[in-house]
Amino acid sequence: MLRYIIRRLAGLLLVFVGVSVITFTLAQLVPVDPAVAALGQNARDEQIEAFRRQYGLDRSPVEQYLSYVGRLLQGDLGTSIRTRRPVAEDLRDFLPATIELALAAMVVALILGIALGILAAVRRNSLLDGAARVFALVGGALPIFFLGLVMLAIFYSRLRWLPGPGRLDALLQPPPRVTGMYTVDSLLAGDWTLLRNSLEHLVLPAATLGYFSTAVLLRMTRSSMLEVLGQDYIRTARAKGLHDRVVLLRHALKNGMIPVLTTIGITFGSLLSGAVLTETIFAWPGLGRYATASATSLDFPAVMGVTLIAAIVYPVVNTLVDIGYHALDPRIRAG
Amino acid sequence: MPRSSPISRRLLCFIGLLLLAACGAPAAQPTTQPSAGASAPPSASPAGQSPAAGGTASAKETLIFAADLSDQISLDPAVVYEFGGIQVVGNIYETLVSFDPGDSILKPVLAKEWEIQDSGDMWTITFSLDQSAKFASGRPVTADDVIYSWSRVLDLNKSPAFLFIDIAQLKKENMRAVDPQTVEVKLPKTASPQVFLSILSFTIGGIVDKQEIMANAGSDMGSTWLNDHSAGSGPYVLERWERGTQNVLSANPNYWRQAPAIKRVIMRNVGEAANLQAAIETGDADIVQDLGPEQIKALENNPDVQIVKATATTLVYLGMNAKTPPLDKVEIREAIRYAINYDEIVNNLLSGNGEVVQEIIPAGLFGHTASKPFKQDIAKAKELIAKAGVAEGTEIEMLVTAAANAPGGVEWSTLAAKLQSDLQQIGLKITIKAIQQSELLTIYRAQKGQLVLILWGPDFPDPDGNVTPFTNYEAKSIAWRNAWEAPDIAKLSQQAALEQDSTRRAELYKQITERVLHEGPYAVLYQPTRPFGVRKNVKGFVYDAVDTPAVSFWLLSKE
Repeated sequence: MLRYIIRRLAGLLLVFVGVSVITFTLAQLVPVDPAVAALGQNARDEQIEAFRRQYGLDRSPVEQYLSYVGRLLQGDLGTSIRTRRPVAEDLRDFLPATIELALAAMVVALILGIALGILAAVRRNSLLDGAARVFALVGGALPIFFLGLVMLAIFYSRLRWLPGPGRLDALLQPPPRVTGMYTVDSLLAGDWTLLRNSLEHLVLPAATLGYFSTAVLLRMTRSSMLEVLGQDYIRTARAKGLHDRVVLLRHALKNGMIPVLTTIGITFGSLLSGAVLTETIFAWPGLGRYATASATSLDFPAVMGVTLIAAIVYPVVNTLVDIGYHALDPRIRAG
Repeated sequence: MPRSSPISRRLLCFIGLLLLAACGAPAAQPTTQPSAGASAPPSASPAGQSPAAGGTASAKETLIFAADLSDQISLDPAVVYEFGGIQVVGNIYETLVSFDPGDSILKPVLAKEWEIQDSGDMWTITFSLDQSAKFASGRPVTADDVIYSWSRVLDLNKSPAFLFIDIAQLKKENMRAVDPQTVEVKLPKTASPQVFLSILSFTIGGIVDKQEIMANAGSDMGSTWLNDHSAGSGPYVLERWERGTQNVLSANPNYWRQAPAIKRVIMRNVGEAANLQAAIETGDADIVQDLGPEQIKALENNPDVQIVKATATTLVYLGMNAKTPPLDKVEIREAIRYAINYDEIVNNLLSGNGEVVQEIIPAGLFGHTASKPFKQDIAKAKELIAKAGVAEGTEIEMLVTAAANAPGGVEWSTLAAKLQSDLQQIGLKITIKAIQQSELLTIYRAQKGQLVLILWGPDFPDPDGNVTPFTNYEAKSIAWRNAWEAPDIAKLSQQAALEQDSTRRAELYKQITERVLHEGPYAVLYQPTRPFGVRKNVKGFVYDAVDTPAVSFWLLSKE
């Protein structure tokens, strides 16, 4: 197991080197000048020169990359051109917001997707099954930004059941920082007003972001469960006179969940990319919004920082999924 | 397969409960404020468990301002040069002189009076500071602070520094503190004292608390520190800047002039027009900036919201490279100006969010003449083209930014297409090339553009902020970018900038305006308005593009 983890970590390093080289090269190919982008139309030549020197843009791309990696090894991600703060500090602020949103979306997807998927499989061809399938179809087809706008228009602008964009009402102060996730931090602080408000703010973006994953999980769970429920050992279990619940929970569910687990790993990736749009629509100050703003203002240190996070998150999630297989399927453990 | 096993029924109940938890609970008790009034929203109650910092600002004393603040990168008055940041900094730091909103005459702020003297080879400007002026720290504002603040601008040499260095030609050795209440500045005769005073009204002239900065200087004269703290004498202090999200300002407890009615200002960064509309409808925001034409239509009949259209000093114009054929011919440039249908642009494309302005000095600034000689006249334009001997179907490239909206709410690409079709009518074949703004600027700066569709905003509230860049080739600004050399007009502009007599100055600007209109390499298209949505219970709202800050929060109150 230890060797396995070490191998995974080495792979992770390789992935990062690959991703950072690609990002860096792409950045060099973009036909724009970050100095001009940052200083605007009235900057004087000497200021542009000074800016280039300050951010090392006057050196060759290879030199720039090597010095970046050198600083990275000392834990320095550089300074953002746009926020004028160390990138690490920015990430510390923005990442928890995205994690909070992605986790909430995942919870929505897991509960709704798996539960509805099982129900649809158990009650195959019922009205519920039909409704679940339509729900899944719509979820797979609807663009996230459209869904987000509709959600806001209905539940915020019209019905006013839920608050609008942002993580908290403007008049509230964020809880003392522990994790950076407002729901968790307000819970830790025992502040119920804040907890409630941050949860309410989380509902619409999480539902928007989670809808796509819900749809995917629902369809996967349904088809996987149908397959398992049709197998001989299930029929045997039923023939032995076991209770429906026992058959479903003890025999079918475990096997039915293996392909679902793979799907969870994959949809988590889509949650992160979906977060870019969701965060823009809901003014959610997370990594997605940070990434877009940094990219459009050619803030390369920040873009590299986000890339680093993404290059870490994906393999970590994949590793977790692999470990999940071990738990679910003894055959994988043996092999 | 059993149709209704107990397990599935239980699951169904579970999901139902979850859905109820997600939507049902908030339904019972809405958090958003239904309308303005004495009752605060439940979550904002000052008696609640998480009162605002400072603890005392009630909903009535708190103002929520929503706008696109995504350009904000600094809160240091010596560095800030972006609309978002200027709006924050202008409410925190005071300058020696400033404009009253809606008035173009300079008024005393930290300086109670000033005097301009001709001392032979130089101008001498003497400021007497107001003795009652003090910083948020409680320390008095002294001549030493003033000199320190302005020297910081010169030393840091960031984006706005050219205003001091190039325009005012200010040097450290030419400033001195005569006594703690008197500052003396000498400027060379080639700089204009009048222009210097208007530059001082801008954030760059903001006075910082020297001792406070020295204690937190770090390696960049406190510039980084100032992004999260403030050290000014203005009506507000910075509570926090949450990057990309919002700025929170609270009333300066030591403010030396009349305390503002609004004790807390929350400036939220909201970029999407639909979200701005929702925020002002629900009352989640008290003021929203830059609504689009659709949002204005939707809000027009809302009894709680007032639409205020404020004039910006920006000009949207088409630059024509005066050294590139066929644009090097003055007749062709005139023909292009006659080919454009200005009224259609303003009325149809902008839905009225702007006005036709054709000269290089925008309305609102001294010297604006309201001269509009051009109206679409295809026959006349064609005649001019024939006279210049330019063939039908001559191709010209037009560069435009790939960014979405031009001021006034029209898409840049739509505006470019409109010009293309207008110019088609006079036989010019325009190819539109949409590129990244920074790439566009690089090409434009290198004089490599042919037609460039772009905007310009004056850097300081004086006509010289437009006239020199638009007329002086040597200034390496707009005239340079369009490869237009007119030494005699440049000379007139220099003369106008230095002229102390305002009647004579106005005459000079009129003369320049007339000549640039017909000889220059520009087709000025329009001056946009900025539409604001303001809740009816907010009193005293003024937007003044000439004044810094454009929105003075201390003049507002809520009923």
